[in-house]
Amino acid sequence: MKEKNSTTASTLGRILATCSKQAKDYGSCVASKVHEVEKDLCLKEFLALKNCMQHTVKIMSSRPSSSQTSVGSGALSHAYIQHPSLHCNIPESRGLFYDDANRLLICVTSSQVFSWETAPPFNPDVSPSVDSVPEGPILSVRFSLDEKVIAVQRSDCEIQFFHRETKKKLTHKCRAGSESILGFFWSDSPLCDLAVVKTSGMDLFACDSAMNLRLVETKKVNVNWYIYTHESRLVLLASGLQCKTITGFQLSTAGVVRLPKFEMTLATTESNSKPIISAGDVHLVTVYGRIYCLQVDREAMLLHTYRFYRDAVVQQGSLPIYSSKLSVSVVDNLLLVHQIDAKVVIIYDLFVDSRAPVSAPLPLLWRGYQGSDSSSQAANKENKSPESSTSNENIVMYEDAWAFLVPDLILDQTNKVLWRVHLDLEAISASSSDRTSLLEFLQRRKLEANKAKQLCLGIARALILERRPATQVTQAIDVLVTAYSYSVKAGIYKELKNEKTTATPPTDGASPDNERGRASGSSIDGEEEVEMDLPSGSSDEQQESQLSSPAISPDELYKFVFASVEETMVEESDYLVAIITEFLRSISAEKLKVDLNIYVMTVRLLARSKRFAELSLFITNKIIEPSKEVALQLLESGGQNLRVRKLGLDMLRQLSLHHEYISSLVQDGYYLEALRYAQKRKVTSVRSSLFLEAAFASNDMQHLAAILRVLSELIPGFKETSEYYTFHGLLNETSSSVAV
Amino acid sequence: MPAATLKTADFVLHKVAQSFGLCLLGFILKGFYEILEAMGMASMNSSGESLKLCVFDLRRGQNEGQELDKILFFYPPDVTFSTQLSVIGLSEGLITFTRLFSPEAACEVIEAERHSHVFHEAEPDIWMVMVVEKNKEIEAIWRVDALQKVLKEVHSLFVMFHGSIRSLLDKEPSGGLIRSHFYPFITDYLNDLSVGKKLQLPSFRETLKERGTVQMLTLARDAALEVQSLVGVLDSCAGTLRCHSVILFHDLLVSTTLSPDDTVDLFTFSVMRLTSNALSSGTSSWSYLRKGTSLSQTSSKSTSPQLLVSSDSLPSGNGHDAGRVIRPLQHNKWIKGKDGFLVTDIWGKDATPTIWLHQRQERVHLLAYQHKCLTLVLLVPTEAIVNGELDISFVKHQVIENATAKILKVEEKLSKGWGGENAYHVSGYRYLLVDNDMEVSRASPSGKVATLAKETLLAVNKLRETVDTEKSRTKEEKDMEICIRAKNNAWAIARVTRGKELYMALEKASDTLLDATDSVQSFSNRYCNGTFSMD
Repeated sequence: MKEKNSTTASTLGRILATCSKQAKDYGSCVASKVHEVEKDLCLKEFLALKNCMQHTVKIMSSRPSSSQTSVGSGALSHAYIQHPSLHCNIPESRGLFYDDANRLLICVTSSQVFSWETAPPFNPDVSPSVDSVPEGPILSVRFSLDEKVIAVQRSDCEIQFFHRETKKKLTHKCRAGSESILGFFWSDSPLCDLAVVKTSGMDLFACDSAMNLRLVETKKVNVNWYIYTHESRLVLLASGLQCKTITGFQLSTAGVVRLPKFEMTLATTESNSKPIISAGDVHLVTVYGRIYCLQVDREAMLLHTYRFYRDAVVQQGSLPIYSSKLSVSVVDNLLLVHQIDAKVVIIYDLFVDSRAPVSAPLPLLWRGYQGSDSSSQAANKENKSPESSTSNENIVMYEDAWAFLVPDLILDQTNKVLWRVHLDLEAISASSSDRTSLLEFLQRRKLEANKAKQLCLGIARALILERRPATQVTQAIDVLVTAYSYSVKAGIYKELKNEKTTATPPTDGASPDNERGRASGSSIDGEEEVEMDLPSGSSDEQQESQLSSPAISPDELYKFVFASVEETMVEESDYLVAIITEFLRSISAEKLKVDLNIYVMTVRLLARSKRFAELSLFITNKIIEPSKEVALQLLESGGQNLRVRKLGLDMLRQLSLHHEYISSLVQDGYYLEALRYAQKRKVTSVRSSLFLEAAFASNDMQHLAAILRVLSELIPGFKETSEYYTFHGLLNETSSSVAV
Repeated sequence: MPAATLKTADFVLHKVAQSFGLCLLGFILKGFYEILEAMGMASMNSSGESLKLCVFDLRRGQNEGQELDKILFFYPPDVTFSTQLSVIGLSEGLITFTRLFSPEAACEVIEAERHSHVFHEAEPDIWMVMVVEKNKEIEAIWRVDALQKVLKEVHSLFVMFHGSIRSLLDKEPSGGLIRSHFYPFITDYLNDLSVGKKLQLPSFRETLKERGTVQMLTLARDAALEVQSLVGVLDSCAGTLRCHSVILFHDLLVSTTLSPDDTVDLFTFSVMRLTSNALSSGTSSWSYLRKGTSLSQTSSKSTSPQLLVSSDSLPSGNGHDAGRVIRPLQHNKWIKGKDGFLVTDIWGKDATPTIWLHQRQERVHLLAYQHKCLTLVLLVPTEAIVNGELDISFVKHQVIENATAKILKVEEKLSKGWGGENAYHVSGYRYLLVDNDMEVSRASPSGKVATLAKETLLAVNKLRETVDTEKSRTKEEKDMEICIRAKNNAWAIARVTRGKELYMALEKASDTLLDATDSVQSFSNRYCNGTFSMD
C-alpha cells in the first residue's frame, strides 16, 4: 500500500514537473480570483493543465524510458498529427508523389515505382506495391483510376504510359517548342479519361483498354499554371500576367462543365504594384459538399474565399492570415489554415456564415500513441528498426519540406513520412464557451462521430447539472433534436442496436468521468481520471468506424442525459420537469418519438414534488402519452394522491389493459366493479382466484363471502371447482374460529 | 354521519327520513319550524327583497342584549335589526337543534312554505345563510345545492383576498374590521348576479351549469406542449423562488400550477374581472356563469351605515389609509396597461394586489398579463418581493423579456384551434359533465341550453336534486344511473361514476329508454373516454 503510494507520488511529481507551466498558470489564475472564485472560473487554465497531465501520463505509460517525446508537448492544441505515420523511406528514392485520385503515396527510384494506400487508418507494416518502369527522369506519376496504367511525365513534352498487366508502353508527346506540358490527371467523366494541361490549353483524351489515346477535345486557353483536385473534379487554369484570370472546368461524371471565367482579387502596394499569384497560393477545398477556392493575397494578408456554383463564382469574404507561408488542410469538413511561419493552425467552419474561427490559433501537436493501442503499439515498436523511432523524435513542426496534400495529409519529405491531421474535438469543445453553437459544430462532425456524440451528451448533461437557465438548455436540446431529425430524414443515422449494447457500458462509465473533470474544475484527481480514460478511448475507436453520424436519438438523450441526471437532481425536479417539457416540445415539433420511460420519469418527478394538478393536466392534455408503464407509475405515485391513482386507472381502462385494470380495481377494494367489468368485457384472462385471494387478503370475511357468492352465480359450475372448496373452507374455518 | 337534509317537500323528507330511520325527527323539525314561524320570528314578508343573505358567528353575542354582536353581515342592508335578529335567531335555533343529531354537519336547508333557508358553515361556527322567497313565479325554482355553491363561492373568494373570517375577527375582536370588509365585498359580488334591479339567483334554467368548477380549454398535444413551455418560463420569472401561474384563453382555463381549490377561486375571479371578456365590460361575455356585469347601482347601498353596530369604519373603498378597505371585486377597475399588464388602483396607487393561496398557506402577489384573448395570471411569492415595486417591475420585465415570444406563439396556436363559443356543443345533446376530483366541468353552451323546453329543464333540475341528495347521504363515491322522463317526453339522464358526473337532456320525444341510454353510451365513448359506459 505504502509502496503504491510512493510510486503514485513520484508519477505525480514527474507529471507536475512536465506540466509546471500549466500548473503555475492555473494556480495563479485561481489565486488572483480567489475572492470571486466560482466553478469554471479558471476552466481554460485547468483544462490546459489537465490536458498536459493526461498527455504526460499517456506518453509515460507508452514509453516509460523516454522523458520528453512530443513536439511542443504540454501545449494545448486543437489539431494534431498522430502515430502511426506512414513510412515511405525507400533507399535511393528520387522523389515522393501523391496521387490524390487513388489516394496513393508514390515513391520512385530510377527504375521502380513504390505505392502505398493511404486510406485510414495507416498501417505501418504494410509493404508497398512495386512496379518497374524504364529508367528515366520522372516529373510526376499518376495511376489511372482503375490503377491498371501508370502514367509518368518524363519531361515538359513527354508522358509515358505503362500498363501494369500487359506491360504495354505508350509515349505521348506534344509539339516541342511551341507548347509544354504542365501536368496531367485522370478523369472519370464520360467524355474523357485523361486530361493533359499544356501552356496552350487542355487536351482531353479518351483511353481504351488497349491503352490507345484518342484526342476528344481541346480547350484553348493560355495557361501559366493549373491546379486540380480529384475530390472536386475541378481544374483551374490561371492565365494573365498576374495569373489572376482563372478559367475553370469541372470534369465530373455528369460531363465537362466550363465555369465562368473570373478574376482573383489582389491588393497592390507601392512596393509591389503587380503581384503575381502562384499555384501554391491557390487551394481548392471541398467542405460539406461545396467547393471553395482559397487564394492568398500576401499584400493584404488575407485569404480570399470563392465559392463555386454551377453557373457562378462568388467571392465569400476573406480570412485574415498571419504568415506569408500558408497552407490548408480539410479535416472533417473543417478548414485548417496552417500559418506556417507562426507555426499555428486556425480552424474555420465554413458552414456558418460568420468567418470567425472555431477556436483560437494554437500549434499543431505531435502525439505519440494513444489509448489502449499503446501497449500493443509499443511492443510493435520495439520489434521495429530503431531508425523509425528516431525519425519520430526529429519531427520539426512546419518544416520547409512539409507538403500539404489534399485533403488532410502532410508529407514530411525530409523524414519520408506521411502524417494525417486529426482534430481534437475534446479540446475544441473545452475551449468553446457558447455551448449552443458548440453543439451545432459537434453535430456536423462525421469523422469522429462517436466522440462528437459523447461530447454532445456530456455537454447536455453538464448544462442540466449546472442548472443553466432553461432557455439555454432548450436551445441546446433543440440543436440536438433537429440534428437528429435531419440526419434521419437524410438517412445518415442508422440505429446500431447490436453494437450499442456491447459498446455503451464503457463509454457510459467514462463519460460522467469526463464530465466531472470538466465541471468540477478544482479537484485534480489526475491519476484516477486518466486510468479511466484509457479504456474509454479504445471503445471510442472501436465505435468510430461504425458510427457515421453524431446525431443523438431522443431515446439516447433520455437514457444518457435525463435518466442519468435524475438521481442527482432529486431536489430540483421542478427544473428537470421544465427541461423535459422543452425536450418533449422539441421532439413533437420534429414529429419524433421517444422512449416512453421519459413519461414514466416525468410522472415520478411531478408526483415527487407534489404537483398533482399539473400532473393531471399533463395526462389530460396527453403531454404524457398514455401507456401501460405510465399507468402503472401513476398507480404507484397515486399512493399519495387518490386523484393520481384514478388517472392511472382511467388510463388502464382506456388502453383496454383489462387484466391490469381489474387487478387494480380489486386492489382498491372495488370487487364488484371489477367483476362487472370482467363480465362485460368478457375478460377471461383474469382468474377468479384473483378476486378471492384479494378478498381473503383484505381480512374482511364479508368480502370473501360476497365474492364467493357472486362468482358462484356468475360462473356455471363454479361450486364444483377446487377454488370454491378452498375458499369456502377458509371462510368456514375463519368464521368458526371467530365464533370460538 | 351524513348531513341531515331537511326539506318539507314530502317526497324528499320521506326519503331522507326513511333512509336514516329518522322519520320522527323530520316531523319534529317541521313542527319546530312551524312554531317558530307562528311566533312571527320567521316572518320575512316585510321587505320587498326576495333574497336575504346573512353571515353570523355563533361564538359571539351569547349574552342577552348583545345579540347584534353576532351579526357580521346582512343583506339587504336596510332591514331593521329586529328582522335581522329574527332571521339569524331562527337559523341559530335550527343549527343548534340539528346539531344534536348530526354534530359534524348540521342542517343544510329548510324548506318552509314561503321561503327556503340555505345554510353553509363557511368556517367553524361561522355560518352563511341565504333566505330565498318562494313566489308563484316559475323562475323561482332553484336547486339548493346551487344556492349553497353561491355561498361557498362568496366565502372562498373572500378568503382568497382577505384571509379567513376568523383571522379577521381575531385581529379585531370588536368585529368592525370584518364588517367593513364584508359589506363592500358581498355587495360587489351580488352585483354580478343582478339583472336589472333584481338579483337573479341560479334557477332551474342554470341547471346544466356547475358553479365552483373550472371550465377548461381542450388542447391539442402540440399546443399543450407550447403552453407548458410557457409555464416553465413563467415559473422562473422571479429567480429561484418558483412562481405559480394560471393561464386563461377567453374564459376558459388553459393551464394552472395551483391546487384545484385555489385554481377554482382564481379562475372565478379572473373570469369575473380579468379576462378580455371581463375587461370589455362584460357586454360580450358569453361565459355561462357570468351575466352582464356592472349593471345595477347596488354598490351605493353598501354605504348604508345604519346597519353597522360600529359604524365608524368606512366600508367604501376610498377612505384614508388607516381605515382603508380594499374592494377586490369592484367593477371596472382593471385596465390593460401599455406593457400588456393589467393595472388597477383597487389596492392603492401603484400597489400590486396580493391574494392568499389556500394550499400553500402563503400570500402571493398577483400580476396579470393580457395578450389578445390570452390572460396570464402570475403569482409571485412575497418572499421574492423584497424591495416592493422595484422587484415587481423586475418580474414584469422578466416576463416581457423571456416570455413574450412564447406568449405570442401560444396565443397564435390557441386562436387557430379555437372553436368559438359553441366549440363544446354536441348536436342533439344538452349536457353537463362534472369532474369532482379536478373541480372541472364542461357543459353545452348556454345559448344551446336555452333552446330546451321548460319542462325538460325542470326535469333535469329535479334529477340533479335527487343526485345531490344521494350524494350527500354518503361521502363515499358511488356509481349511479337515473333516467327521468319529463312531462314533454324528454329524457333527463344522470350518470355518476367514481367522482365524475354526467347530466343530460334528450328532447327527442320518440326516443325510448333504450335509445336514450344508447345516446348516452355513444356520448360517453366519444367525449368522455368511455368513463360513463356502464353496460
